[in-house]
Parts: sequence; structure tokens; C-alpha cells
Amino acid sequence: MIIYTIKRVLLALLIMACAVSTMFVMIHAVPGDPANVMLGPRATPEIKEALRARLHLDQPLSTQLFYFFKGLISGNFGFDLRSNRPVLDIVLEQLPHTFILVSSALIVSTLGIPVGCYAAINRNGKFDRIVGAISVSIIAMPAIVVGLYLLLFFSVELRAFPVIGAGDSDDWLDYLWHLTLPVITISIAWIGYISRLVRASMIEVLSQNHVLMARAFGLPEARVMSRYALRIAVLPSITMMGVSVAFILSSTVITEIIFARPGLGSLLYESVLSRNYPLVMGTVLVSTIFIVGGTTIADLINAALDPRALKEND
Amino acid sequence: MNPTMSPVIEVRGLTVEFNGVPAVKLVDLNISKGHIVGIVGESGSGKSTLASALIGLLPDSARITSGQIFFDDRENTPATPEIFSELRGHFISMVSQDTLSALNPVLTIGQHLIDIQFRESISLEEKRQRSIAALESVHMPDPEARMSMYPHELSGGQKQRVSIAMAVMVKPKILIADEPTTALDATLEVEIIALLKQLQKKIGCAMVFVTHHLGVVASLCDDVVVMHQGSIQEVGNVRDVFLKPKNDYTKKLLKCDPARIEKKCRQLPTMDAPNQKRVEDETAKTKRLSGDQAPILQIENLTVKFPKPFGLAALFQKAISKDITAVNNVSLNLFAGETLAIVGESGSGKTTLIRSIIRLVSCQTGTISFFGKSILDQSRDDLESTRKEIGYIFQDPIGSLSPRMTVEKIIKEALPSEVGNANDEAQEVQNLLSLVGLPIKFSSRYPHELSGGQARRVCVARALAQNPKLLIADEPTAGLDVSIQGEILNLLAEIQDKIRLPILIVTHNLNVVRHISDRMVIMLMGEVVEEGATDDIFSKPVHEYTRRLLNSNIHALPE
Amino acid sequence: MALDQKKEAQNFSDGLSSAVIYRLVKDPMGLVGLLIVVSFVVIAIFADFFAPYDPSKLDILNKLQGPSADHLFGTDQLGRDTLSRLIHGTQIALMVAGVSIGLAVLIGSILGAIAGYGPNWLDFVIMLLFDMVRSYPVIMFALAVVVLFGPSLLTIMAIIVATSFPTYGRLMRTQTQSLRQAEYILSARALGLGMPRILVRHVIPNTIGPILIVASMDVPFVIALEAGLSFLGLGVRPPTPSWGSILNDGYTYIRNSKWILISAGIPLILVTIGFTFLGEQLRDIFDPKIDRGS
Repeated sequence: MIIYTIKRVLLALLIMACAVSTMFVMIHAVPGDPANVMLGPRATPEIKEALRARLHLDQPLSTQLFYFFKGLISGNFGFDLRSNRPVLDIVLEQLPHTFILVSSALIVSTLGIPVGCYAAINRNGKFDRIVGAISVSIIAMPAIVVGLYLLLFFSVELRAFPVIGAGDSDDWLDYLWHLTLPVITISIAWIGYISRLVRASMIEVLSQNHVLMARAFGLPEARVMSRYALRIAVLPSITMMGVSVAFILSSTVITEIIFARPGLGSLLYESVLSRNYPLVMGTVLVSTIFIVGGTTIADLINAALDPRALKEND
Repeated sequence: MNPTMSPVIEVRGLTVEFNGVPAVKLVDLNISKGHIVGIVGESGSGKSTLASALIGLLPDSARITSGQIFFDDRENTPATPEIFSELRGHFISMVSQDTLSALNPVLTIGQHLIDIQFRESISLEEKRQRSIAALESVHMPDPEARMSMYPHELSGGQKQRVSIAMAVMVKPKILIADEPTTALDATLEVEIIALLKQLQKKIGCAMVFVTHHLGVVASLCDDVVVMHQGSIQEVGNVRDVFLKPKNDYTKKLLKCDPARIEKKCRQLPTMDAPNQKRVEDETAKTKRLSGDQAPILQIENLTVKFPKPFGLAALFQKAISKDITAVNNVSLNLFAGETLAIVGESGSGKTTLIRSIIRLVSCQTGTISFFGKSILDQSRDDLESTRKEIGYIFQDPIGSLSPRMTVEKIIKEALPSEVGNANDEAQEVQNLLSLVGLPIKFSSRYPHELSGGQARRVCVARALAQNPKLLIADEPTAGLDVSIQGEILNLLAEIQDKIRLPILIVTHNLNVVRHISDRMVIMLMGEVVEEGATDDIFSKPVHEYTRRLLNSNIHALPE
Repeated sequence: MALDQKKEAQNFSDGLSSAVIYRLVKDPMGLVGLLIVVSFVVIAIFADFFAPYDPSKLDILNKLQGPSADHLFGTDQLGRDTLSRLIHGTQIALMVAGVSIGLAVLIGSILGAIAGYGPNWLDFVIMLLFDMVRSYPVIMFALAVVVLFGPSLLTIMAIIVATSFPTYGRLMRTQTQSLRQAEYILSARALGLGMPRILVRHVIPNTIGPILIVASMDVPFVIALEAGLSFLGLGVRPPTPSWGSILNDGYTYIRNSKWILISAGIPLILVTIGFTFLGEQLRDIFDPKIDRGS
């Protein structure tokens, strides 16, 4: 398990390094002078020259990449072009809002597990059919439509929920109140997805021989379900939730903008509109860490729950 | 059965249907205390369905439309689902057919054994001790360490031992065993059967043993039930039934078992011709085998190694050197008109060996020549034309047919290009189908619409369509009922007689080898341990492993 | 006789595909899915015929109207007919989805097949590439790219292709890996058939099914992505009507007229339900065990 963990973390670092370098190279390999792109056509040659020197733009690409990674290791993600503050500070300011939104959405998505489980046990029953129809309908419902409709009906028409912002972070009730609609926006599709996934794998597990054998020894049905079936049936969902961090972060951008919440998404949007490259780079980097971290943790949980995973990856 | 003994379980007029099609029809059955009852029948006879019904675990799609099951424990009350779930796990228990999937992959062996003692009100430590004792009773090496291991860390035989330990630990009055040794190698099968018999004596339970293997019934059971198409054909003491069968079907079934035919037969009996037992005369044999001195296929010092799978670890430690040797320094010859059998247990490298002949697997050292030409250094084009001359029958009959092609297209693809226009091709396909005994209408079927036996015939037809100069067959009768097995083997022998086709056959079925092969090669862990004329090896085996293998071949006559 | 037989075989395979359609239509879910998808395609192709107005025709006097007999879905801030704009937006949505998923399937399948069939180290490198792409949040990646190359239809399609080909690549890799050892592929090789023939007759027919199902389930995601980018003003340039930019109009004028927002959401919901139902049903018919994503 320890060896597996080390291996998995090394792989994660490798993926992250590749992802970041690609992003970096892409930004810097664009035709045209990056300084021009960043500062706009009206900047004076002196300012451009200063920026080039500061960002090592006058050096070859490989050297730039080297400086960039060197900076990363010492925690220097570069400086905001406008305010000159360290990018890391700005990103860390916004991070908690996004982190809370993403993790709440993930936690709410796990509602799908009991739903799918119950549907599988009562397969083709009334509950299964109703839940099946609902979850298939919401499974791919775009966050953008869900978010805008929620905003329109609950905030603008009914005025039951706030329209703007993340609320007062000292007043947790207010914060939660502001969080409700964005979380629903992001997680509704995932509840549907997870419930379908759990249902499918539960049905498969229930048909397996070892479940039959557990019954052949008269084990109580509740124990067969929880100990013999569900433990295997949730494994694909855990992997999927790891992968889902990427999808959820995508929805987060839209959601943060719709509900005018602070967070990584809004930050990125603003820095994209103002061509603030170091900030774009920093935000994408942090989200990539988020995502790779998510899949890695999911794989590790999987390995802890499923002794076979260790063997396959040996 | 013995009327003086009260039955532990009694079945009255049981009918089980799948979607309206009966799988078990009006079955009456009594199983007496302490008796071992064998249920035999071909695939589709309903024997497994009957066994599942006995323990109340029929699949969801099955429905009991008539009949009742009574247990000794609950006299005069027919079993209900409640009674079943109460009795399962202490009055009645079972050993499953599929060893690989019978244990839960995420629970340890110890958790399995401790879980099933949920009815006992004893301490956890006591349950643990009992579990270790149960593992000891099935001769599991180092039972304490095994308790904390997961199923995937055990071998197939060990898993089967755990299943048996579980079934016996609850001290049932009746034990159901559904083909418990089918997935195991012959030497292991003998050990497991001996173990079951010993444990059954020890706890004195009745046992229902479902199998298609007549030899196992003869050596293990007291009574036998013969099933065919859902109904019981004959019931009685094993000696009586096997030596003096009354029912026609039983008679035919017994006649078709190659293990029960003493003399070496060229043509084996089939269900349609149960009395056929053609022994090849000497002149025919000399005519078939004599002639050319040069072997058609010659393999010398062949070694096949598989590299270890590439992982992230390989980047950090250069541990690629640990190759797995599947075939080690094997040499063999095959002459015109002869059948050479390669015999070995799973993992002995026999399939790898024959695959390397047509370079489906690449080998490290050695030479393979076919009609004197080396196959190994042929160019891609030459290799393709060599492959066209070698018919190859794969082990999995349905799996080796392309799933989205009709039988006609599958066979046409194998026809040599010189056959000509579409009309001739279609005619040829028809000829081949009738040669392997399939109706013409099968030409428009897809592989998944065929039974195992039918698909096997299509595979044979495809191999013959190539007009091969050599035929390689990988377990051509595995998973087939004895009757169909006979038909396939007879067909191969007929063709061999006609065109002196050399046949290389891989199998673990010694009863088949004894009848059809002229010479045999025995493989163990990638190496050839013994080689010679089939008759000689069966009468005077030299190598220790060969002897063990031959001893494990259970004879189908009651002791 | 031979001709008859050929016909019979032909009839049978026709029978197979019509059996699929029959099973699709028999289930209410499949029927609904198929109907929705077909109607959207028809609407997209004959957009000019179905749209009651020119989508860019301004009518300032009648701006921000609610639904009426003249304007079924109302009008926007410039008095353009929302229904006509949505109908024309269907063209953009379906074209983006069709072209980019098609390209993603092509690139993904080729890379996946190489990973599954090629040497182990190449498999490792390609899988690393897939994992890498998967670790970008799609919209964030898109935002960054749009800044570099400027917003256009082409950029959007390039982004979708770049972020969704790993899904098909992974699927294809698993498929080829299992096919590599499949006995019918081995037996095709044992027959001495050449590689191109094996690919065309044996490999592709047996891998295309699952990929098509996943592609069908992927359409709503892609359409939503295009809508999202256009919503953020980074997609199709105005005045070209796109569902996302109409949503943005609705968002901007949410306090003036709720009708733009409500109507712009409807086609997105319908198209999502349509393709998901269709995909789910196809999955049930062909293979209950394919899993998307992981």
C-alpha cells in the first residue's frame, strides 16, 4: 500500500508537470509578441521591454520554462500584471470559496449512492422506474440552464434566495444560504449520474456468484447487501467522483459567474478578459492540482477498499 | 433408494420454468441420510437447476410452477422461502461450481469463515479458532496465515478448499455440490473428490453431487440420478445403474463415454449410433502412417518467453529482466497422417507452444519448419500464405468466430482464393456445412445464435475450408457433452483417413487422447517431460508426473 | 440458389438493424429520444423554413416582449424574434457537436488503438497524454485558449476536440486490448488474412458500437459547453444566433423580461434529454457494461 501510494503520487506529479508545461508552452508559443498581447498595442516600448525582462521573455522557451518551474518550487507563481501582488496570494484568497463550493457539491452528489442502491435492490419496481426516469433526465442537464433557471425562479421571481455574492463568511448561516443554489446547480446532474452508476454496478454485483454463496449460507439479507454487495458496488462511483472534480470545476466557472460569487472561476474569467497572463496561469495551475489531487485520492481510496487494485498496479 | 431410511430431503412433483420453458419437469426425489447422490446429465438436462431448487436459490427468471420440497427438519411442511433462509447455512449448505467467483474479492478468507458463523453465540476468538480448524480440515497449508489473505492471493485449488471448508464447517445435514471440480485440473480434481468424500464421512451428511463426469459419479457416489431434458430417466444404486442400465437414454449415455471403452477406437460411439465402436485394422493404420520419412512439421529447441508487463516501476528500477518462460526448449515432429496429442495441465505452456507455430506468439530461440521451410524467418506475405495452409481450431468455439459475421461469411473468408466465383463459393460452403453435419440454414446464422457444439462444427468447417496441409486443434472437445465430443472426433478421424492429414491436438482429456492419438507428448511447466507412442505411455509411463497424471484419470466403472 | 442464400443472409442482417430500431422505438424512452433527436436535426437543416422571422431582423418598438401570437417565444432587447433565433441557433449547436465529436472520435480512436495495440512504452506515453488532458478543467482551459486565439467557432471546436478525444481514446484502448487477445482476431490472423482486412472486417465492426453510444451521450455535454462559452461571450460572435448568447441576453435582461431566459433554456433541456435517452437506450440494447469517463 505504501509503495502503491508513492507510485501513485509520483505519477500524479508527473501528470501535473506535463500539464503545466504544456499550458506554459502554449501560452508562450503563440504567434506574436506575448508582451504585446498582454499589454495591448498602446503600451510604450520601454514598458514592454521591462515586462520582457521581468518575465524572461527575451530568453529561449526552455529557459523560460526553467525559471517558471524554479519559481513554482519556491512558491513563486509570478506577479499580477495590474496590482503587482503575488499571484499565489490572490489565488489563495479566492480558493476557499471555490473549495467549499466544489466539496459541498461532491458531498451532495453522494446522495446518489443510497438512491441507486435502493433502486437496484427493488429493480424494476415503482421506485426504480420513477428514479430511473428522473435521473436519466437530469444526468446531462447543463449547469448553465439549471443555474439560470434556479436564479430566475428562486432569486429573481420568488426572492427566496440571494442573487449575488457568497455572503458573509463570518455568518455561516448567511454563507450557507448563498451556497444553496450554486451547489444544487452543480450537483444535480451528478446525483443522477452517481445513482445510475451505483444502480448498474449494484445490479451486476448482486448477480455475482459470491453474493449467491453468501445467501447460500443463510446470511441475513441486510448484511449481504451492505458487507458483500455495496462495498464492491461503490468502487466505480469513487473513481468517477475523482474524475468528476474536473467536470465540477468546469461547472463552477459558469456557476460562479451566474451567481456572481467570488472564486477561482470568477478570477479566471476576469483575468482572461483583462489578458492578465500570470493570473490565468496561476488559476489554471491551482485547478489542475485540484483535479489531479482528486483523481489520485479517489484511486488511493479505491486501493484501500479493493485489495485487487494493488495487485493490478504492481 | 433405501426405503428403510428416512429422507433428509424429499422433492415431490417439482417443475421449474424459465420464461415458460420447463427446465425441470415433475421431478420426484428422495435423498437419504448420509448418502451421496450423483446427479448426471448433459448440458441442458436441468441438473443444475434442480440443485439450485434444493437450496432455494433459483435465479430470478426461474419460476416453480408445481411441486414441493420437504426437509427432514420441518416434517410435513413444504419449504417456503422463509424456511429455506432459516435452513441455509446450517441444515443445508453448498459448494459452488465457479471457484474463481465464489468468494468475495474484498473480504479476507477469515472474514468469510467468521461471517457464516453468525448463528453461533460464541466469542469472536472462538469463531476464529474454529475457522482455522476448518481450514486445517481441508488440508490448507498454513491456515493461520491464510485467514488474513484475500481470495485473489490464493490459487484455484486453494479457493475451492476454502469453499469446501465453509460448506463443511457449518456441519450441514445435506451438502449440495454443483460441478465442484469442473474448473480444476485432473490431478487436483482427484484430491478434491477424495477430500469431499472424507469430510462427508466425518460429519455424516448427505451429499448431492451434480456433474457431467460419469467417472466421478462411479468413484464417489452411492446413488445416481440420470437426468435428460428436465426429467429423471433413471434412479438407483450406482453399481446397478452403471452395470445394468434399464433406461434407453442411460444406456446410450454410458456407451458414449470414451473412458468406459477399453479398446482403442478409431470411430467413437455417438448418441445417434451408440453401438459404433470401429477399431482401426493394422493395414489401414500402416497405410495411413507409412510413407514419407521427412516430418511435415518439425520443431527444434523452441523457447518462448513473455516479458513482464511494463509499469511505472520499470522506469525507476530496471527490473525487466524477469521474463516468464512459457515454453522451454521443446522439440517435436509430426508426420503425414498421424495425430500427435500434447497433454498437460493449465499453465503447462501447451497453448503457447501451438500458437508459436503460426507465429501468433513470437519465440526467442529455436526453429520451426513446415515442409522443410523455416516459418520463423518468413516475410509477412510468406507467413500469411503459410498460415493459409495450416488449419487452426481455437479453444473457445463461439469466441473464435467473428461476432458480426454470418456463418457463411466466416467460412467463405477461409476459402482459398482460387475457388472462384460467388456461386462456387456458396456451393463450397454448403458442402462444408453438410460435411460437418450442420443443416444449410445455419449459413445465415450469427455466432451467438449457435450452441457450443454447433459453433465447434463451424470452426472445424472453417479449418477444412482452408484445404489445410496441417490441422492444429486446441482443446477441440472442451466443454462439450460426450456425445458431441464423439461426433467431432470421428469427423476429424474420417478426414484424416481420407487425405492423410497430420493433426496436432492439445488437450487435457486423457480418455480422448487414448482413443484418437498415435503419439503423445506430455508437458509440465513449459517442458516436455515424456514423449512416445500413446499405447506405450498408457501401459508403461516412465516419468513420475506422467504416472500421477494417468492415476488421476478416474475410470468410469464403479469399484 | 446461391443468390437466394445471399438474399437470405442480407435479409437477416437487415433484420438485425431493424430489430435495433424496433427495440429502440418499443421503449418509450428510446422513442422519445429518437423523436427529439430527429426533430432537432430536421429543424437545423430546414432552419430557414421553420423560422417565422429573419433572426437578425430588428424591431425596437417590440423589444422585450413576452410570448404572443406574433412572437411565440417573445422578443429580445433588440426586438428580434427569440424563436427564430433559437431555431437558427440549432444549426450552430448541432454543427459544433457533430464536427468536433466526429474529429474527437477519429483522433481518440487512432491514438487509443495505437495505445492498445502498440508497445508498452508507447501505451504509457499515450495514457500520460490522456491523463494530462483530463486534468484540465474544460471551461478553464477553454477560457485560456480563447484568450490566445480569439473567440470563434473554430476555436470552440478545436477546444472540444482537444478536451474530449481522451474519452474515446481510453474506450478504444480498452476495446483493442480485449480484442487483441480475442480468439476471433487470433483466428483471423491464423487464417492468414492481411492486417487491413482484419481491421476492416473484424476489428472496426466490433469496436464502433460502444464508441457511437458514448458519442451520442457526449452530444449534450458538447452543446452545453458551446452554450457556456457563448454565454461568457467567448464563443460565436454576435449577431450569429447561438443558444449561449441568447441565454446571456436573458441573463443580462433578467429583471426586464424573464421570457428570453426561459425560452433559451428549453432547446438545451430538450436536446439533452433527447440524446441522453437515445444513448441510454442504445447502451441497453448493445452493451450494458460500457462506462463513460473512467
